[in-house]
Amino acid sequence: MSFNLSAYAVLFLQLSLMLYLLGAATALIAMFKREQKAANGLVNLFCIAASVLTAVASVSIILNRTGKLIIFDWQSVLPFINLQISIDNLSALFLLALSVLVFCVSIYSISYIDHYRGKRNIGLFYLLYVLFIVTMFLVLTASNAVIFYMSWEAMSLLSYFLVVFETEKEENQKAGTLYIVMTHLATALLLVGIAIIYNYTQSFEIMNTSTAGAIPTAAKNAAFLLFLVGFGTKAGVIPFHIWLPYAHPAAPSNVSALMSGIMIKTAIYGLIRFVLCLLGIENTWWGVLILVLGIISAVLGVAYALMEHNIKRLLAFHSVENIGIILIGLGVSYIALAQHNAMIGGFALIAALLHTVNHALFKGGLFLGAGAIQYAVHTKDIEKLGGLLKRMPVTGLLILCFSLAISAIVPFNGFISEWLTFQSLFANIVPGQIGLNFLSIVAVAALALTGALAAACFVKLFSISFLGLPRSEEASSASEVPKTMTAGMAVLAVICFGIGLFPMIIIRILDPVVVSLGGGSIFGQLQGGFIMAYYPLTVQAGSISPIALLLALGGIFLLTLGVLRIVGGKYVERKYGTWDCGFDALNARMQYTATGFSKPIKIVFRILFRPTRKTLLEGDSFYYPDSIEYTTTVASIFEDYLYHPVIKLFERFSKRTKFRIQTGSIHSYLLYIFVAVLVLMLYNRFA
Amino acid sequence: MDTIIYIIIQLGVVLLIAPLINGVIKKVKALSQKRKGAPLLQMYFDLYKLMKKSSVVSDVSSWIYKATPYIVFGTAIAAALLVPVSTTILSSISIPGDFIMLVSIFALGRFFMMAAALDTASTFGGMGSSREAMISSLIEPSMMVSLFAIGIIAQTTSLPLIMLKVQTMAFPLVHPVYMMVGLALLIIIIAETARIPVDDPSTHLELTMVHEAMILEYSGRHLALMEYAASVKQLVLITLFVNILMPHDQWIGAGIAAIGLSLLIYLFKVIFMALVIAVFEVNTVKFKLFSIPNLAALAFILAFLGILQFFILGGNHV
Repeated sequence: MSFNLSAYAVLFLQLSLMLYLLGAATALIAMFKREQKAANGLVNLFCIAASVLTAVASVSIILNRTGKLIIFDWQSVLPFINLQISIDNLSALFLLALSVLVFCVSIYSISYIDHYRGKRNIGLFYLLYVLFIVTMFLVLTASNAVIFYMSWEAMSLLSYFLVVFETEKEENQKAGTLYIVMTHLATALLLVGIAIIYNYTQSFEIMNTSTAGAIPTAAKNAAFLLFLVGFGTKAGVIPFHIWLPYAHPAAPSNVSALMSGIMIKTAIYGLIRFVLCLLGIENTWWGVLILVLGIISAVLGVAYALMEHNIKRLLAFHSVENIGIILIGLGVSYIALAQHNAMIGGFALIAALLHTVNHALFKGGLFLGAGAIQYAVHTKDIEKLGGLLKRMPVTGLLILCFSLAISAIVPFNGFISEWLTFQSLFANIVPGQIGLNFLSIVAVAALALTGALAAACFVKLFSISFLGLPRSEEASSASEVPKTMTAGMAVLAVICFGIGLFPMIIIRILDPVVVSLGGGSIFGQLQGGFIMAYYPLTVQAGSISPIALLLALGGIFLLTLGVLRIVGGKYVERKYGTWDCGFDALNARMQYTATGFSKPIKIVFRILFRPTRKTLLEGDSFYYPDSIEYTTTVASIFEDYLYHPVIKLFERFSKRTKFRIQTGSIHSYLLYIFVAVLVLMLYNRFA
Repeated sequence: MDTIIYIIIQLGVVLLIAPLINGVIKKVKALSQKRKGAPLLQMYFDLYKLMKKSSVVSDVSSWIYKATPYIVFGTAIAAALLVPVSTTILSSISIPGDFIMLVSIFALGRFFMMAAALDTASTFGGMGSSREAMISSLIEPSMMVSLFAIGIIAQTTSLPLIMLKVQTMAFPLVHPVYMMVGLALLIIIIAETARIPVDDPSTHLELTMVHEAMILEYSGRHLALMEYAASVKQLVLITLFVNILMPHDQWIGAGIAAIGLSLLIYLFKVIFMALVIAVFEVNTVKFKLFSIPNLAALAFILAFLGILQFFILGGNHV
């Protein structure tokens, strides 16, 4: 199939936008109807069709290096409000990730939404869901900052409504409030950043980037910091991540998949669009700052994830970790670009972008998997699961695939992007820059630690939920989820595996994007040549070929079977109970729990977790108590030591002002007004 | 065609020697305790016997449990393909891959081993798995940084190329960078191969064991595969150590005879390392679990100092 469709690309994109809006309209009508079953199918169908069109258009635009194309243009008489959306290579890449995820999530949603049938207004859900996708579409295609900002706000608000969709739960309300506060604080910073740029360039254009030279360095630095914090909050970068572990678990799982898979990536898009394209990389310290934040987020994110036993919270913390890994790549790339090293810059940028795409795939899949578990067992608590692999074999296999992918294990896609990140760090170590080299090595160690801890975490997630004996009634009576749900996840898993085996295909798509951003072309530098490797990924400093590894593993497996058959004879198997020390009553409570599994790591990193425990014994005898209650908690350092003190400070300040200034006496208020008017008049007179 | 022959040589050598290393270590330990000890080739007999036995499989377990021995064994062999036993002659044998991939291949095997241990619903399995998760996550950064240190000097991440590069040096082990990294690697090898002081391979006492606890439920050919895989992994790590820190191929020419000679020297080096590990194991006691972080930190610091020394000494004249 050739991708010479760029002539139709704009049409496709317009069509897909229309289909999305059609879906929204359908949902709107369904909202007021009692029978919503037909709408469910129809809305998802519209979304699936739209996402296919977007994906095809995006790929063809990237591969044909079309440059900027205007999708929709509406010049209004009002100043600044020109609704222009357009697509260039960078937008196309993120749109591709968006549409792949929307495609799978929509297939999944067809049955998943049964969960809410009769309990919730499904029409309302789909209205919010489709509009949420549309706003993300607009964020990624907005060609001026005003539209970008408005879509960004709409995206935040819609996702807020989706977070609090199950309104009666108190935790959801809390999560929603925290989310909306954090996201608005961040958006305010973005607004200031955009204003600074406008002040110097007199233009809101964000896709044409020739005016950056007009901005003085100090203003650039200020704008960079504003963007970093603003987008960093949306991305969930530590220490601005605190909303994320609350908001993601609260939303329905198909929405969490979108939020974690792609919404937080719009922040990465923003960081690239506004910092790399609009401001231009000038200072090395920008990259260094991003790299340091990335290291902190990666390590702390996975460390906190290990302590979580609520699946969706665990996954939310892994988003923090993966954003960290993306930022490590992005940081290295900005450092290299600041030093005019386009090759390493491009290479690291590919690593960051690939990890962005990868994370959208496997984290989307994992959230869908968490939704499937919730659908079947009605719990998010790992400690109440167990033995699900026999009852939900397909879901189990798919979650295993995603777990391997996110733990950066060969031959899955997570490994490819992590390998590229390692390689870019490796390439970034050049003689004569002790400080940077030092930082690179720290990043290497952090990345290795992150990978190992992530593997430990996903062994916990997968094994405690899917292996062993069921730990609760619900878990032992669970059954496999409907086919459309597993199909949605399966598509993601196949893509994860595909990218892991044939990384060259995705790198071929990423390469023009990176080149359009000013990085060096990697694809031309790649060289193959091994017999077994159909798609070897070869870059100067080292080469890997996952497909060769897979073939080798397959060959070894067959050889082993053969040798075992010849030497050992026929395989004879005897089923028997697990050895229980002759106790003869093995039960689920004797298994290791998730808490027990992560305990050694908790003890090793106790300085980070500050764990507390409380044991409550009931009964007369110490040795034979009637009941034992054991609770253990892990401190959330950033909330306890950063946010709470600041909030307390504000509270104290407002209390004081309440009594001193806001006295409730009408006389003093009149005095304030008088003073204010006087000051203004004086200012006008003398200024 | 040559490539296939080389792959066969590589795999043959690794598969043949791997159990011998365990035999040597056990023999030295026995001699140090004034015992005669089991014969050097005991592990071969064990493996043969285990292969012929029927397997007992826990009725709680799922397909993960039965697939794991094959995956663990497969990853160990695949890792062996990445680390050539003899560099100049056999450098073309490896499947395209580097040390980052090596670490990830080990991670694949470990992932399944930890999962399978939890699959039987046995507490011992869970205990071993949980401890392995802790130890491996502490050791992995040190391993990556040590390999990076070596890679930076050789300017490549590919193991065969690194091994070729070190052959241009007179004797790498006395170089300050390699000395540090070598010590770090030694600690890593001991931790990764489940040896004293990190783990005790010879007991089945639930308080001390890690690796053995994870494979406790295995029997028959499954157990044979797991044990064999562990010994192959150990040999791969030792090969990595000896071929990087004590290269020998630069003194040997080309040709069939040279290959034989090179493999012979390689065998001596590996047995020498087995002796070193055995002596190390005899002269130390098993640490308690929560002292292992100190050991891991030591390895990490050594590797880090190695890299810093490289920067300070300057990169180009190594």
